[in-house]
Amino acid sequence: MAADSDPESEVFEITDFTTASEWERFISKVEEVLNDWKLIGESSKKPPEKGEYTAGLWEEKSDEILFADFKFCIKHHYFVQDACEKEDVEDSGEDSLPVAMQDLLSTNNDFPPIAHCLVRWYGLREFVVISPAANDAVISESKCNLLLSSISIALGNTGCQVPVFVQIHQKWRKLYVGECQGPGVRTDFEMVHLRKVPNQYMHLSGLLDIFKSKIGSPLTSMPSVNIAIRFTYILQDWQQYFWPQQPPDIDALVGGEVGGLEFGKLPFGACEDPISELHLATTWPCLTEGIIVDNDVYSDLDPLQAPQWSVRVRKADNPQCMLGDFLSEFFRLSRRKESTDELLGKSAFEENGKEGADISQALSKLTEPAPVPIHKLSVSSMVHSARKKIRKHRGADESPLSNDVLNAILFFLFPDSRLLDGSEGKPSSSAAISSASENEDYPLYSQLKSAPSDSLTYKLALCLCMVNFYHGGVRGVAHLWQEFVLEMRYRWENNCLIHGLAGGPPDLKCCLLHQKLQMLNCCIERKKARDDGKKRSAMDSAGNADKTKSDVGKSWDSWSDSEDEFFECHSDTEELKESGQEPNKKSAAKDDAKEPPVLKPEGRFQQSGSLTLLGSEEPLYIPVTQEPAPMTEDLLEEQSEVLAKLGTSAEGAHLRARMQSACLLSDMESFKAANPGCSLEDFVRWYSPRDYVEEEVTDEKGNVVIKGELSQRMKIPNNMWVEAWETAKPTPARRQRRLFDDTKEAEKVLHYLAVQKPADLTRHLLPCVVHAALLKVKEEETEESIPSVKQTIKQIISHSSKVLRFPNPDDKKLEDIITQILNVEATIARARSLKAKFGTERCEKPNEKEDLEKFVSCLLEEPEVPIIGAGRGHAGTIIHKMFLNAQRLTESSDEASVMVPADEELRRPSSSDDRRQMSGSDFPAPAGREIILRLTVPRPAPYSKALPQRMYSVLTKDDFRLAGAFSSDTSFF
Amino acid sequence: MEEDILTTLKILIIGESGVGKSSLLLRFTDDTFDPELAATIGVDFKVKTIAVDGNRAKLAIWDTAGQERFRTLTPSYYRGAQGVILVYDVTRRDTFAKLDNWLNELETYCTRNDIVKMLVGNKIDKENREVDRNEGLKFARKHSMLFIEASAKTRDGVQCAFEELVEKIIQTPGLWESESDGKGVRLSSEDGARGGACGGYCSML
Repeated sequence: MAADSDPESEVFEITDFTTASEWERFISKVEEVLNDWKLIGESSKKPPEKGEYTAGLWEEKSDEILFADFKFCIKHHYFVQDACEKEDVEDSGEDSLPVAMQDLLSTNNDFPPIAHCLVRWYGLREFVVISPAANDAVISESKCNLLLSSISIALGNTGCQVPVFVQIHQKWRKLYVGECQGPGVRTDFEMVHLRKVPNQYMHLSGLLDIFKSKIGSPLTSMPSVNIAIRFTYILQDWQQYFWPQQPPDIDALVGGEVGGLEFGKLPFGACEDPISELHLATTWPCLTEGIIVDNDVYSDLDPLQAPQWSVRVRKADNPQCMLGDFLSEFFRLSRRKESTDELLGKSAFEENGKEGADISQALSKLTEPAPVPIHKLSVSSMVHSARKKIRKHRGADESPLSNDVLNAILFFLFPDSRLLDGSEGKPSSSAAISSASENEDYPLYSQLKSAPSDSLTYKLALCLCMVNFYHGGVRGVAHLWQEFVLEMRYRWENNCLIHGLAGGPPDLKCCLLHQKLQMLNCCIERKKARDDGKKRSAMDSAGNADKTKSDVGKSWDSWSDSEDEFFECHSDTEELKESGQEPNKKSAAKDDAKEPPVLKPEGRFQQSGSLTLLGSEEPLYIPVTQEPAPMTEDLLEEQSEVLAKLGTSAEGAHLRARMQSACLLSDMESFKAANPGCSLEDFVRWYSPRDYVEEEVTDEKGNVVIKGELSQRMKIPNNMWVEAWETAKPTPARRQRRLFDDTKEAEKVLHYLAVQKPADLTRHLLPCVVHAALLKVKEEETEESIPSVKQTIKQIISHSSKVLRFPNPDDKKLEDIITQILNVEATIARARSLKAKFGTERCEKPNEKEDLEKFVSCLLEEPEVPIIGAGRGHAGTIIHKMFLNAQRLTESSDEASVMVPADEELRRPSSSDDRRQMSGSDFPAPAGREIILRLTVPRPAPYSKALPQRMYSVLTKDDFRLAGAFSSDTSFF
Repeated sequence: MEEDILTTLKILIIGESGVGKSSLLLRFTDDTFDPELAATIGVDFKVKTIAVDGNRAKLAIWDTAGQERFRTLTPSYYRGAQGVILVYDVTRRDTFAKLDNWLNELETYCTRNDIVKMLVGNKIDKENREVDRNEGLKFARKHSMLFIEASAKTRDGVQCAFEELVEKIIQTPGLWESESDGKGVRLSSEDGARGGACGGYCSML
């Protein structure tokens, strides 16, 4: 007011900040930050509800400030409260206390399960902390005082009512001093931190003494102190039999005993107890001085009688979980750079000239055009002899996988090879199985881009994973892969379909490796059909049809049931040869334009409805056509790149159409062969019916006739359809050049497979393994039914589908997924551990069981769970028993080893032990004791305002802390 | 110019033969109409850059042949598409009736489930309309698609159709960002929730 009424003094006063010291600058910087954060002035908020500090949201803001060149970090921690109704609070009057001082007395949030230590100690909902930014520490007393003074000045200058603390000494000591200012009042926050608990402060009476002496109240009769006490007991020593899960007997697996080993099943669970500690807190929330006695000879504080019990569990930090280990070990493979050959030494084929030659000869035999009597060779015996060769060469002890393990895996992967002894397997049955179970996890495998869960690819992924973990790591993986590729080659060479793959073209929703295998199957299917067709015609000509064999063969021909219209394509050389052998036909093809009716129709598939050729009574036949080439996604990518590269110009478009017209041309040729004397109009009526426009016209005689013609666009001169039609020769599909060169494609796939390194395989198959792991945790979760886990699994699925959809996902993201799965596994293991410990299964009364189950699930999800009925409740009784058992165990072991000198040390609070016996409690000594003392008294003079005083103390084995907040009236001092 | 392109989107045009797929595309890319456009063989491809909401997007548009026989060939190009334009001819009911087949096809061959679909009823300039606008609207609603009627000949609705589609794709999270690595919004991390790791917070004593 004075300044306003006297403006002149302001005008002529020069304020000089040029000589401001570092200290002044520091203070103004603090003030600036407090201003920026809008912490100035009084704020009135509702007192926090019970337990709100735990349930609500805490936030923090931070900034950096300098004191000379020493960097401090200033941080504002605050509890987010809804804006409350102003009127409610405002009637408390002008000289209401700062919020922080009110908080000192609030008992609603004593002992919060999770909170900043200052919240735990002082019950504050908002505060600012200034601490050294780096790993420095403010240690000297004068520096501490300087900081404290700075705060004091800053608070005074700004009128900020939020308490500000300074962290002093080493950070781990969590030592803070601070101050809070309000109108005419201030609170000093002080702290004592010691390693040992001084004997006189071991109990409540000693603490009360120090509290009162600190207050130094001038009153002769003090009001009685309000007390809250919590004792915490820690149970670490679970008896071993409480943990139900036994790690799998790895030795048995390694020893070659594979009988009991189930491939395709992922392991699950923690190998060690995922719950490391149980903390029991017994709380007396509201006691009054004088009601209870707790001194060095006697204590009323019997934990069994405490009105409130609550429990928390400490989870083992990184419990070893088998599924998680499995996944991470597999993922680790992706960083190995070695190729299969490097890992296994030179390929067996190359070293073993003579024996290897057999196999390569087999290949050349098969690629010869003449039909090969394949069925004389027993497929499985060939496979096995080849394996024996490799093994013989490598030496049994050298090969990473033992015969038994390898055979077991191969039989698991190729269940049909047991049946293979010269006759074909039954792919139809496997196809049926795959389609049935596909529906169930259809979305999952397509989301993750893995493979159906009963597919060969999926099983292979699991086997590689298992081999990696149990049987020789990366070398084992290389070995199995080599065998797998070998088997693939055999299947190609022997026309033996690969089991466990859905038929048809590669499924682009699956991983590339799966597509490649499907592609190989397509090749095998076509080659087999061709060979069978040839064989059959050979047999037919010999008049010696083997009934059973042709029957089996027939079931493979999905597209045709009649033998004479069998679809077959020949390679280029064959075509040449054949066309040379059939000069008649060739010449006939040449002059078909002149003498169409002479031609014998060929390659008819079926009649196309009741259509007849234009201008004749001949029915229009749909020809047998070539199947389009199946494509894997990489081929497709390549092709579309080529097509896209042609650009968007007219020539480009033309060229593109030409490149793709092979299929059209082939269809036209087949059509011509099936319908001698046909025209383009006929073809269009079958192929693109909308391009044949029919109109009702009245002719000269007045009759309504249907007149048809090609559409406008088909009549454009020299359009590609006309062009193709003119060049097309009447050739049935089976004598056309193959659109899909299965030999070449199969060799490409086999080569691709052969050059995959173990690391590449990992990348290919990781989606399958993740898929399997997710199914596994889902399955395990249903047993336990934990809602939060259910939710998490959903999140993981959606997250990983985003990551895995794109080629070459980030390592970091993949690791994330694995970690998430591991966390879920650990949570489920914890649930199991807790259920076993609390014996939910053993519980007989249904309502007790339900309560107990609810209690256990709360333990997993909430930081601290109250026990209904405290020590007398059902859960309370169980916990009490646990402590008793643990006691008995340690005592008996103590007796057994008398010479333990640390014994004294362990039981150091011996006085409390004695007291325990006195009070008749059978609990061990508490691991921690927390006591909060509160009082409202005038200070410093009897006529001062009555202000909140508080002291929090915590006593543990090697930590003693007193945190006091003492307020005083500053009006007249 | 190239730098400020936000992303490249793959868009597919499908529908029965002769409904005007190539004409729509030609109208959009070259703003011309050719009544004598030859029937597409296999797939064709055009590129155009457009600006939507201040974002420039490069569209790689794959035009497909509608003939039944080509259908075994074209679905391979569905892979990786972010948007699809499904065209029918409002003057030919059969092309509208076949839409279900096309959707099935899309369902089967498309590698992602969040692809943005747009239904376009073409040739509204013609007089002999057989499919009512409301029918198209109903179909689109049933299958949660965008819907517009257009005419490649008179250019009505063509530009608008493509722009709508692109806008929708850009608004769909996760549909295009990860393709252009490093750009766009990252997935927010799931943790960071209350009660997680402690930064200066202690849980015990």
